[in-house]
Amino acid sequence: MINKTLFFQEIKRSYKLLLIFIAIMVMYITMIISMFDPSLGKTLEEFAKAMPGLMSMFGMETTGSTLLEFISNYLYGFVMLIFPLAFVIIMANKLIAFHVDKGSMTYLLASPNTRTKVVFTQMVVLLTMMIVLLLGSIVIELISAQAMFPDSLDISKFMKINLGMFALMIAVSGFCFFISCISNETKLSLTLGAGIPTLFYLIKMLANMGGKLENMKYATIFSLFDTDKIIAGDGDVWFMNVILLMIGIVFYSSAFYFFKRRDLPL
Amino acid sequence: MIEINNLTKDYGDGKGIFNLSFDVKQGEVFGFLGPNGAGKTTTIRHLMGFIHPDSGSCSINNLDCGTCSAEIQKNLGYVPGEIAFFDNMTGTQFIHFIASYRGVKDWNRVESLIKRFELDTEGKLKKMSRGMKQKMGIVCGFIHDPDVLILDEPTSGLDPLMQNVFIELILEEKSKGKTILMSSHIFEEVEKTADRVGIIKKGRLVAVDSVSNLKASRRKKYIITLENEIAATDFAGEFSEDKSQSNNVVTVTIKQNIKKFIEVLNRYPVTNIDVAEQSLEDVFLHYYGGNNND
Repeated sequence: MINKTLFFQEIKRSYKLLLIFIAIMVMYITMIISMFDPSLGKTLEEFAKAMPGLMSMFGMETTGSTLLEFISNYLYGFVMLIFPLAFVIIMANKLIAFHVDKGSMTYLLASPNTRTKVVFTQMVVLLTMMIVLLLGSIVIELISAQAMFPDSLDISKFMKINLGMFALMIAVSGFCFFISCISNETKLSLTLGAGIPTLFYLIKMLANMGGKLENMKYATIFSLFDTDKIIAGDGDVWFMNVILLMIGIVFYSSAFYFFKRRDLPL
Repeated sequence: MIEINNLTKDYGDGKGIFNLSFDVKQGEVFGFLGPNGAGKTTTIRHLMGFIHPDSGSCSINNLDCGTCSAEIQKNLGYVPGEIAFFDNMTGTQFIHFIASYRGVKDWNRVESLIKRFELDTEGKLKKMSRGMKQKMGIVCGFIHDPDVLILDEPTSGLDPLMQNVFIELILEEKSKGKTILMSSHIFEEVEKTADRVGIIKKGRLVAVDSVSNLKASRRKKYIITLENEIAATDFAGEFSEDKSQSNNVVTVTIKQNIKKFIEVLNRYPVTNIDVAEQSLEDVFLHYYGGNNND
C-alpha cells in the first residue's frame, strides 16, 4: 500500500526536525515535572490567586495537589498541545503542499504510483512521525516522574489523558493534512494549517477565563480534550474521543478524495 | 498510440487549449511546436494526468490519461519543462531515489546515460547549473527504458554539443521503435529527429505535416551585406519578389534555385552573408502559400 522508497526518503528528510522537537519536549517535561512539589503547591496557589486570569488562560486554574493533576494542568494545557501541534503543521505542509509548490510532486506522480498511493505513503509518514513524538514524550514523562517522584503518578488515568491527546492530534493532523492536499502553494497551506488550529487554541484560552466567555468553549475543537473530565472519570470522555477520531477520519478521507481529483499545477 | 481528441481546457482570457486533436503513431517521433504560452505544456499536463480536461479526452496505449495514469506511467518517460528535484539531494542520491522509487533494476543503462551526458552527479542539485539540471532531467526520464517518451522542451539549456548527444539518443530510441512526443518552440530543434510536426498557436492546432514536406517547400531568408548602397540597389534588382533593402543590406528569400543565387552573388561585391532564423510562422505560412495572415 505504501511506497517504501518514498517512505524512507521522507523519514530521512525530516528526522532532524523530529529530534529537535523531542529535545524541546525533554527540556520542558523534565523542567516542569521537577517543579512539582506537594508543599510548593501552596505557593503556586497563591500565585494563581494573585493573577487568576493569566493562570486560567493556560488551563492552570487548579494547581493540583497530585502529580497527575499537576502534569495535566501544566503539561497538557500548553507544552503537550502546542509543540506536537507545531510539529504536525510543519510536517503536513512539507509532505504534500511543499512538493506541489516546488514542483517535485512531478517526479512523485510521473511514476507507476497512483496519487492515492503517494498520499497514503505521505499520510503514513505524518502519522509515524507524530506517534514517535507523542510516544517519546509520554516515555519521557513516565521516566521523569518515576525518577523524581517514585510511584506517585496515577498511571491508568495518565494513560487516559494521553489517549485523549492522541485522539485530538489525529483530528488536528487530519485537518492540516487535508489543507496541505488542497493547497497549490505552501503559503496557503501554512496560513490555514497553522492559523485555524491556533485560532482554536486562542478561543480555548479565552473560554478558560470563565464567566461569559465560557460559552466560547463550544467553538473550539480543543474542548473535546478535557483533562479535568478525564481525571474525574466522566463518562462523556469516550464519546469525546470518538468524535475527535471521526473528525480525523473525515479530514483524512477528504484529503484523499480531493487530491485524487484535483488539477495540479505541475 | 498517443491520441488526443477534442481536448479543451479553458483558463479564461483566451488561455488554455481548445478542441485539440492529433495523434502520435507507434514508433513515430512527433514534434510539437508552438511559441511560448501556446498550450504545449498544458497539453502535456493532460497526457501526464496532472490536470483534467473540461471536455474531450486523451489516451496513451488506449488507456485514458486522466484515470489510468499510474498504469500508463509504467511505460512512459517524462522530461518536464520546469525541472524541480528534491531539495538537498545530490545528483547521485536523486537518481538512486528515482530508480528505486520506480523499481528500476537495470543499472547499466543508468550508468551509460550518465556517462553519455557527461553528468557530474556528485554535487548538490540545488547548486547545479541550468544545463546540468536539464541533463539530470533527461537521464531521469530515460532511466527505465520506456516505450513512450514525452519530452517538454528537452534541449533548453543544453550546449550545442549536448544537443547533438541528445539528438543521437532520440534517433537511437526511434530506431528501437519508441513513440516520442517532443515539444519545442524552434523548428530546427525537431527537424533532425521528428517524422511529423504539429504546430499549436493560442491553444489551437494550426497545422500538422510531415517534416519532409515542410523541408521541401521551405524557403530560406538570406541577409546579404554589400560594399555600398548602389551595389545593394543593383543587387536587389536581380530579384523579382520577396526582397527588402535597407542601406547596403539586402534581405532575399530563396526557394530552390540556390545555384542561380550563388551565381548572382559572385557578380557583386558581397562582404557578408547571413541566414536569417525563421520563425515558426515563416516555416508554416510559406508552406500554406504565404498569404495566410491570420
